[in-house]
Amino acid sequence: MSLIEINDLKVHYPIRGGFWNRIVDNVKAVDGVTFNIEAGETYGLVGESGSGKSTTAKAIIGLEKATAGTVMYNGKDVTKAENRRKLDYNRDVQMIFQDSLSSLNPRKRIEDVIAEPLRNFEHLDKEEEKLRVLQLLDIVGLDADALYKYPHQFSGGQRQRIGVARAVATHPKLIIADEPVSALDLSVQAQVLNFMKKIQRQFGISYLFISHDLGVVRHMCKNIAIMTRGRIVEVGTREDIYNNPMHIYTKRLLAAIPETNVNHREAHRKHRLEIEKIYQEQQATYYDQDGMAFPLVKVSPTHSVALPPELAKKFEQQSESKGVNV
Amino acid sequence: MKRDIADATSISKEDLAKLTKEANEEATPSRMKIMWGEFKADKPALVSLFLLVFFILFVIIASEFIDVPKMMETNIMGYYNKPFSSDYWLGADAGGRSIAKELVVGSRNSISIAIGLTIISSTFGICWGLVSGYFGGMVDLAMQRVYDFMMIIPMLMTIIVIVTIIPHYNAITLTLILSIFYWMGTSRLIRSRTLAESQKDYVAASKTSGTSNFKIIFREIMPNISSLIIVDTTLSFAENIGVETGLSFLGFGLPMGTPSLGTLIANANDPENITQYWWTWLPAAIEIIILCLSISYIGQVMRRTTNAAQRRGQDQK
Ligand SMILES: Nc1ncnc2c1ncn2[C@@H]1O[C@H](COP(=O)(O)OP(=O)(O)OP(=O)(O)O)[C@@H](O)[C@H]1O
Ligand SMILES: [Mg+2]
Repeated sequence: MSLIEINDLKVHYPIRGGFWNRIVDNVKAVDGVTFNIEAGETYGLVGESGSGKSTTAKAIIGLEKATAGTVMYNGKDVTKAENRRKLDYNRDVQMIFQDSLSSLNPRKRIEDVIAEPLRNFEHLDKEEEKLRVLQLLDIVGLDADALYKYPHQFSGGQRQRIGVARAVATHPKLIIADEPVSALDLSVQAQVLNFMKKIQRQFGISYLFISHDLGVVRHMCKNIAIMTRGRIVEVGTREDIYNNPMHIYTKRLLAAIPETNVNHREAHRKHRLEIEKIYQEQQATYYDQDGMAFPLVKVSPTHSVALPPELAKKFEQQSESKGVNV
Repeated sequence: MKRDIADATSISKEDLAKLTKEANEEATPSRMKIMWGEFKADKPALVSLFLLVFFILFVIIASEFIDVPKMMETNIMGYYNKPFSSDYWLGADAGGRSIAKELVVGSRNSISIAIGLTIISSTFGICWGLVSGYFGGMVDLAMQRVYDFMMIIPMLMTIIVIVTIIPHYNAITLTLILSIFYWMGTSRLIRSRTLAESQKDYVAASKTSGTSNFKIIFREIMPNISSLIIVDTTLSFAENIGVETGLSFLGFGLPMGTPSLGTLIANANDPENITQYWWTWLPAAIEIIILCLSISYIGQVMRRTTNAAQRRGQDQK
């Protein structure tokens, strides 16, 4: 059984307007997202800005109300607040925020910041609590004198590590990391990512790793979902996505990864322009008339793609005929 | 899993004690220090601060030594006595009552009502704004309709009606009645800041850390808007001195026989007083001007303290 199962999750924001301030339309920030996260794995959720990644994350952790769909954890639907309370859900599921500065209360010392989940879930005495906070700081490579400082006295990378320390404080089973490194420069990115990996090995945590950077995701994740306009367009293992991308959106994202090898730059640029041209041409076929992605179709046991109906039929026939042969 | 963390570090008791001590030495000096620095950089404000504190203490203590019922007795002999005489430092009014004594007791009454009014109405307004802004949605909608309703009530008229209907009222009931009508400005201001503050990730982080809404509102959000609260409270204090004074001036404030700055100024209603017996109303008018000016100077300093870009003080860190 998976650690957490997200089933057809939808989050729609009403747009109010008109004379009576009635609901005139919906922003479908998340529109039918389904995936499972296994214990101990890092699951990547990738998409461009505004594709609904953060909203998905917030709905899973309970910060945003789900319009429809379920999030099953320990056999209970945690989109309902009372189930979350009963399970002490947030002891097991924590979050690392995109903007580290805004995620730390500027008026609180680091000790109080990191101890907050401990105080709510573990009720340790003062000494024990302080020790735990010190240990957590040590795990993320910060000195003990950080304890009494305020968030603004740290660099961005250090702050993000404080965020990591707070997230692991209660030994959660799943940490949702919403673009944990996208505000950091490259060297610091590597540092924070390595800490996250180290902690994962140490405590056996699962991550839902959200990013728009496929390079980082490749470094972190075994399974990846590609999201656009509130829907998932391609799911697969790292190999499926990077070696055999099938949706034009995925291809375009992959082409956008900067090429580090100087010799291949020109070729890379050509390739990217080519993909962009194909994308512009085929865009209409890969999305329905409302501009939404099609339902996912299995193309291999691990790999599903939101193919347009004609292509999808072909694949279904193929797999059926294969089924007959075997 | 737990054992892993426990093994990860050990820190000696002495180190811990040392750290705690260091921390306490650095503890929260910043805001108070900055504010003091600002006061020192702005001489008029510093003078205002001393003046205000000294004056409030003076009228509170001095009025303890004044026998109010006796003071309010009519004394034919003192009828419009000129100021600067030995019995009447600031002269006397039509009833031969000492203006100086009335001024002291009246200031005490007016300032006490202003303080009480500020405390009650600001506390209520702050809570209303915080809750409304934090929860948003339907809660906010309902609470804002109450706000709107209170705003469209003709305030002064309603207060006058209430005061006229209630048979017996004193300074405390008057403060309570006024409080009903003076929390809206604060609540709107606090609400708009809370709306913005609630969107920040640290609030989300507190929610996912299992902290209750009540704690998030008062322990996480409120400290972050404390500067706004301080500034707003200071300025509404100045405003509230005017509220009671104005009402008493119109004759609907404190009951008869209770002196206040407003009743003193009301002496100016008589044209004869304005031209001939200026000492009956001028001191109180000057006092109110000085009080309000001082408070607004202090308020400006506090506003600057909260806004780094406007600071003038030297030691701003
Ligand atoms: N409170 C809200 N009300 C209305 N629309 C919203 C709200 N929050 C998000 N949206 C919309 O939902 C969509 C998805 O937003 P979301 O924050 O999930 O994007 P994202 O994938 O996290 O983007 P980024 O990479 O920039 O963080 C956006 O189009 C956004 O405008
Ligand atoms: Mg986001």
